[in-house]
Parts: sequence; C-alpha cells; structure tokens
Amino acid sequence: MEWNFAPVLGSMDILLLGLLNTLKVTGLALLFGVPLGLGLALSRLSQMRILSMVAAFIIEFFRTTPPLVQLFWFFFAFPILFGVNMTPFTTAIVTFSIQSSAFFAEIFRSGIQSIDKGQWEGSKAIGMTRNQTLRRVILPQAVKRMIPAFMERSIELLKTTTLVSTIAYTDLMYQANDIAQRTFRPLEVYTVIAVIYFLLIFVFSQLSIVVERRLAKSGEGTVH
Amino acid sequence: MDYNWDFATLFQNWRVFWIGLQGTLLMFGVTAVLGMSGGLVIGIMRYMKTPILAWPARAFVEIFRNVPVLVQIIWFYYAFPILTGVETSPFLAAVLGISLNTMAFSAEIYRAGIQSVEKGQWEAGKAIGMSFAQTMRRIILPVALKRVLPALTNRGIEVFKMSTLASVVAYVETLNQAKLIADLNYNPIESYTAVAVIFFVVLYPVVQATYVIERKLSRSDQ
Repeated sequence: MEWNFAPVLGSMDILLLGLLNTLKVTGLALLFGVPLGLGLALSRLSQMRILSMVAAFIIEFFRTTPPLVQLFWFFFAFPILFGVNMTPFTTAIVTFSIQSSAFFAEIFRSGIQSIDKGQWEGSKAIGMTRNQTLRRVILPQAVKRMIPAFMERSIELLKTTTLVSTIAYTDLMYQANDIAQRTFRPLEVYTVIAVIYFLLIFVFSQLSIVVERRLAKSGEGTVH
Repeated sequence: MDYNWDFATLFQNWRVFWIGLQGTLLMFGVTAVLGMSGGLVIGIMRYMKTPILAWPARAFVEIFRNVPVLVQIIWFYYAFPILTGVETSPFLAAVLGISLNTMAFSAEIYRAGIQSVEKGQWEAGKAIGMSFAQTMRRIILPVALKRVLPALTNRGIEVFKMSTLASVVAYVETLNQAKLIADLNYNPIESYTAVAVIFFVVLYPVVQATYVIERKLSRSDQ
C-alpha cells in the first residue's frame, strides 16, 4: 500500500472549518457549563434539603450516563417531548453544557469544602452574610485551588466533543468522515485528524501541567 | 406535552435490550481487564529509570491519552485494515480503542501510586537483599494499589460509559439496540430514556461505593 496525502491536504480548508467548529462547541459549552456548575454546586451545598437533593440527582445522573446517550436523547427525544426544533449545533451546546456542568459542580464543591471552616466562622463574626462570605472570602481561594481540575475537565470536554459528529454536526471528526468517504483515503484522513487532535490536546495538557506546577510552587493546595 | 407514551413496545422488545446489555458488559469486561492490567505494566515502565523503557512508555501514554477515543475507534476500524491488511471487526476496533486509552490513563494512576510510597520502603527492601522486582511486588505495589483504588474505580466507571462509543462502528451494545428499537417503533423518547436509566441504575451504586471506599481509605491511612 502507498500513502497518499494529496487528497487530505487538498481538503485542509474543510478540516480547518471542522477544527473551528470543534473549538466553538467546546468554548460555548464551557461558557454555559461553568456558571451552571457553580449554581449546581451551591444548590447541592445549600441548607434547603429539597434544593440540595435535586441538585445532587442532576449531578449524579449526568455523571453516570454516557455523553453519547445524552446527546442522542437531546437530539431525538427532547424535540418530540417539548415540540421544539433542535439543530445538531444547539443539541451539542445543550448536552455538553449540562454534562460538563455536572462535573464542574463537583470540582466547585470540593474546592469550596476544602476551605477551612474557620473562615466561615470568622466572616460571620465580622457580620458578613452567607452570600458575602462565599463571594468575598471562600470562592476567591477555592477557585485558585480548582484550576488544575478545571483545566483537566476542559480537556476532557474537548475530547468528548468528537461525539457531535454522530448527529451530523460539522466538527473536525465529521469533516474527516466526509473527506474519507469522498476521497477513499480513510488511512490518511483519519491519521491526519488523529495527529491534529493529538497536537491540540497535547498542547493544552502541557499547559495545564505548567500551571499546576506554578500553583504548587506558590504554596497552594489543589483539589480534584 | 400531550405525548402518547409507549413503554409497551420497550417491554415487548426486552430481549433486544438484553442482547445489547450483554454486549455492553462484554465490552466493559474485556476493555477494563486489558486496560488496567496493561496500564500496570506501562505505569511501572514509566516509573523506571532506564530510558529505553521509560521513554516508549511515556510516548505511549501521551499518544493514547491525548487522542479522543472515538477517533481511535474509527481509526482502528477504517484505517488500520488498510495499513496492515488485517480486517478489524467492530468489536476488535472498539476493544483496541478503549483498551489503549484505558491503559494510558491507568498507567498514570499506577505511577502516581507507586511514587506516593515513601523512599524508605525501597531502601528497606534493598537492605534485606530484595531485588527491584521483589521489592516492587512484595512491598511497594500492595501499598500503591490500595492508595489508587478510588482513582481506578473512577476509571472503571468511565470505561463502562465509553462502551457506548462502540455503537458508532455498529457493535451490538445497549445504545445500538436502543437505536434499533427507536427506529422500528418510532419511540426514541422511551428507548433512549431507558438506556440512560439503565446506565444510571448500574453506575449510581458504584459511584456511592467509591465515596465509601475513599472515606475508609483516608481513615486507615492516618
């Protein structure tokens, strides 16, 4: 057999568009997923039992069900149930925002819980409310400890977005399938996109290692 | 929401689901065993000071951890046969993709566990005349494995969820069968909800168990 990269290189613009879409889905899912995760974490830690239980259920449900099943559910089942139209793009954003928020919620929770109880008491003693304490004292410290776990999760999210190709959203994986079918060059196409994904994710992982080392040096503990 | 629920066809088709569930369990069993035992070997290689062992192990870990599993499965299904002339069945392609990914992730878990054991233990092993392999097997690994148990269980949960990716190359597992039922009976809501519930019911107790294990281990370490 002979390697022939010409058809793949000729379709580089299509792959690039796919890469942009991959990054777009990842970015938007992060944008919605992180605040949602914070909301879920605060609900889970809330003193209201019902709120806490509902949040715990949502978190555990989205953590224990496979993302591909969630994606299919939001694409095939959700539109019928609620009579709304779901494009592959909106499905991807909705699914990955909620899915990653469940994981972010657990990172937020362990970050918040890692802060010494005395800080809550101290803030209360100087007359701060629960919300004020959370915003001014607890979260600024907790967030710093969460950064490594947060970056790791974002990288996982980037990898998980490949699943959107199964509902025909034009991400990098989908474009590769498309090119492979048109050019009859699956070996070269899939090898090239494996390399692209590798380089992209490798750079992000190395970056997160550097950040983690810096944080460790600055004497901050981290949570996972 | 005036939707006519149709759970009846799901129950009529329980055999189809059952076949799928067997496929899921088989995929999980094979990939978990291959991934976690292979990962132990690579994790130890990565720990060793011999560059000829450590470097290939490091390259292996970086490659299979940083390429998404779906890309690996598709690559083994469509590209690997052209390269080697060996036909890969959907089962084999999925097993290769998921196992290699699991090996890479669990190798890092084992390595972290081995590194967490105090240096003094190695010195003590050496002082009473044990070789590297003996110290590793008799002293270091028992301690390290206990410490990494929660991380390994979490990996196992991920592996179980990953088995659904095999449906992309038409391997017969739960999600694939749900798709079949949904297409035949026009009831995607019920069949996909059923899959989600199945996974939740199987994994929820496992997740709760990991919390218990974690608490027990952290207590016994003090």
